[in-house]
Amino acid sequence: MNIQNNIKLWSSLGMRATFGLIAMELVKKHPNLIITTSDVSTSAGLDRYKNKYPDKYIDVGIAEQNLIGVSAGLSSEGFKVISTTFAPFQTLRCCEQIKVNLGYMKHKICMVGLASGLVLGNLGFTHCSIEDIGILRSIPNISIVVPSDPFELFKTLDQAIEHKNSVYIRLTAGSNSKIINDKDYEFEIGKAVEIKSGEDVSIIGCGNILWNCLEAATVLKEKNIKCSVVNMHTVKPIDKEKVIELAKKHKLIVTVEEHNIIGGLGSAVAEVLAEDKNNCKLVRIGAKDFYSPGGSYDYLKDIYGLSVEKIIQTVFLNL
Amino acid sequence: MNLKKLENFARNIRKNIIFTAFKAGAKSAHIGGALSAADIIAVLYSSIMKIKKQKILDDNRDRFILSKGHACLALYSALVEKKIIKRKDLETFESDGSNLLGHPIINKLSGIEFSTGSLGMGLSLGVGVALAAKKKQKKYKTYVILGDGECNEGSIWESILCASHFKLDNIVIIVDKNNFQQTGKNSSIMDLKDLTSKFKSFGCSTTEINGHNVKKIYQSLMSKTTNKPKVIVANTIKGKGIKLFENDNNWHHSIITKSIYKNIIKEI
Amino acid sequence: MKNKKKYTEIFIESLSIDKKKFSEKLKYNDIPEWDSIGHMTLMSALEEGFKISLDTDDIVDFSSFKKGIQILKKYKVD
Repeated sequence: MNIQNNIKLWSSLGMRATFGLIAMELVKKHPNLIITTSDVSTSAGLDRYKNKYPDKYIDVGIAEQNLIGVSAGLSSEGFKVISTTFAPFQTLRCCEQIKVNLGYMKHKICMVGLASGLVLGNLGFTHCSIEDIGILRSIPNISIVVPSDPFELFKTLDQAIEHKNSVYIRLTAGSNSKIINDKDYEFEIGKAVEIKSGEDVSIIGCGNILWNCLEAATVLKEKNIKCSVVNMHTVKPIDKEKVIELAKKHKLIVTVEEHNIIGGLGSAVAEVLAEDKNNCKLVRIGAKDFYSPGGSYDYLKDIYGLSVEKIIQTVFLNL
Repeated sequence: MNLKKLENFARNIRKNIIFTAFKAGAKSAHIGGALSAADIIAVLYSSIMKIKKQKILDDNRDRFILSKGHACLALYSALVEKKIIKRKDLETFESDGSNLLGHPIINKLSGIEFSTGSLGMGLSLGVGVALAAKKKQKKYKTYVILGDGECNEGSIWESILCASHFKLDNIVIIVDKNNFQQTGKNSSIMDLKDLTSKFKSFGCSTTEINGHNVKKIYQSLMSKTTNKPKVIVANTIKGKGIKLFENDNNWHHSIITKSIYKNIIKEI
Repeated sequence: MKNKKKYTEIFIESLSIDKKKFSEKLKYNDIPEWDSIGHMTLMSALEEGFKISLDTDDIVDFSSFKKGIQILKKYKVD
């Protein structure tokens, strides 16, 4: 498989459609794979998979609590299970089932949350997700990974399906998503990736919003503020060593996420910094614990300080 | 089916329930709901389910899920009678670090398939297990016991829709219909009205029986179904077997003192 | 169309179809391979093959092999 050609194609397709393509590859490697959904197939790029492997696809209808229970039952009987639906329904509607089946009983399922963050802002906040990371972080035995681009989604799923515990994979952005990783690289669940170096400020992000972090870092460099940009794709377990290393090297850390600043990446980083001796200031960029009016993806990013300009401003104000 | 053996098994389950609840002392126990399920569980474990200690993890075993997890004393008692767990393990009930808590904890080696207790979840798991059987082309059956109060939970109906949609004739759902839930009668808290019709309308092959007539329980469990999940609505009495407890919701979760124990043990 | 051979080859390769299955009458959704994912793969391959960048409107309007020839003229591919 030619990686370069695929990176471009996958980015134009976006994470959801790419997930469908990845499923076609995963099932060849894992013949006991079953994908379970709650009335989403096209939205998850799964039409081809559904048509080619109907016996490895179970749609339980718009019933997310049952989705998790059925998935856990299948997993307990030896199947590798990936469940998927839109992020709020994948995580909140069936939250207790996730706690009991995945956390408490440790049944292994990969949950893929579609269109998380702010990308469906024009549908209103019932279809956006700024709480999912925070809520799932409190449940033991579940790892949380936020791929930065469709290529990283491929690597995430490849590892997640063999990972020791359940993994929640949070998809962000839509079609024509940005390319963060334009060539092959080392990926490991739990290990952050420093994609740009710089000694003044560290911008730690997760998800496709990392593009805005990179753009902001480029502009800041012209103003002689050197930023490192770190892809902290795994929010749980957080790469403590990397956070502590960054705190030693920089005077300011800024976290960037399409999530409430309470409970998500920013909080996870804050927890590490609070228990470590350092002189580094932390500023969290994200949804400041309110639901904004709906609108386009760009409109919402701007309201929550996630646009390139607002990230630059935040860095300036806190230096 | 050996009627005497069945009745004995049920009697022993009741003895174990009362003894264990008594030993739990001030920690108290869910008693009424365990006693109402005792005959159903007795028939399943003594005469219906393919399950034994030597092949406890065998992929061909029948699976049992106590979705109304608070009736766990009946399950533990049956496992003792089946010699899958030891009698002295019952004495660790609700103790620090014990595997036998006030709700079942998953322990396949001890014959406990899943952790239940949060009502409304066990049937979903059962549907997943039954689907797995179809995919693996295995003949094992999955038996799920629900409480009637538990049927307030929407998730139960999600699972029933699903079982019916996928034509799961390898799952058997038994509703322990003792007409009570924690705070009082179902009819005053959240009236289920005609529960049997509801299951029928959801596409299940449904019968209604006396949940304490072991012969009827056995016959309804043995009857064949095709392409539909089987539901048995078992009319039961909360606290059945101990006159002091019968239909008295104070015994949903309570303490059996020494004097009470002395009085009631004669009844079994 | 001067580039018809190349255009046809890109169609066949990016949609992963048998040469026998191909015809110039081919339309979007006519065959399972030309579904929404196949379409994006085709668009990507055309951009790569002819070194162009297609407008979103043209990607949406690109509903058949023949229509594609018209659209590509806009990008000086003929």
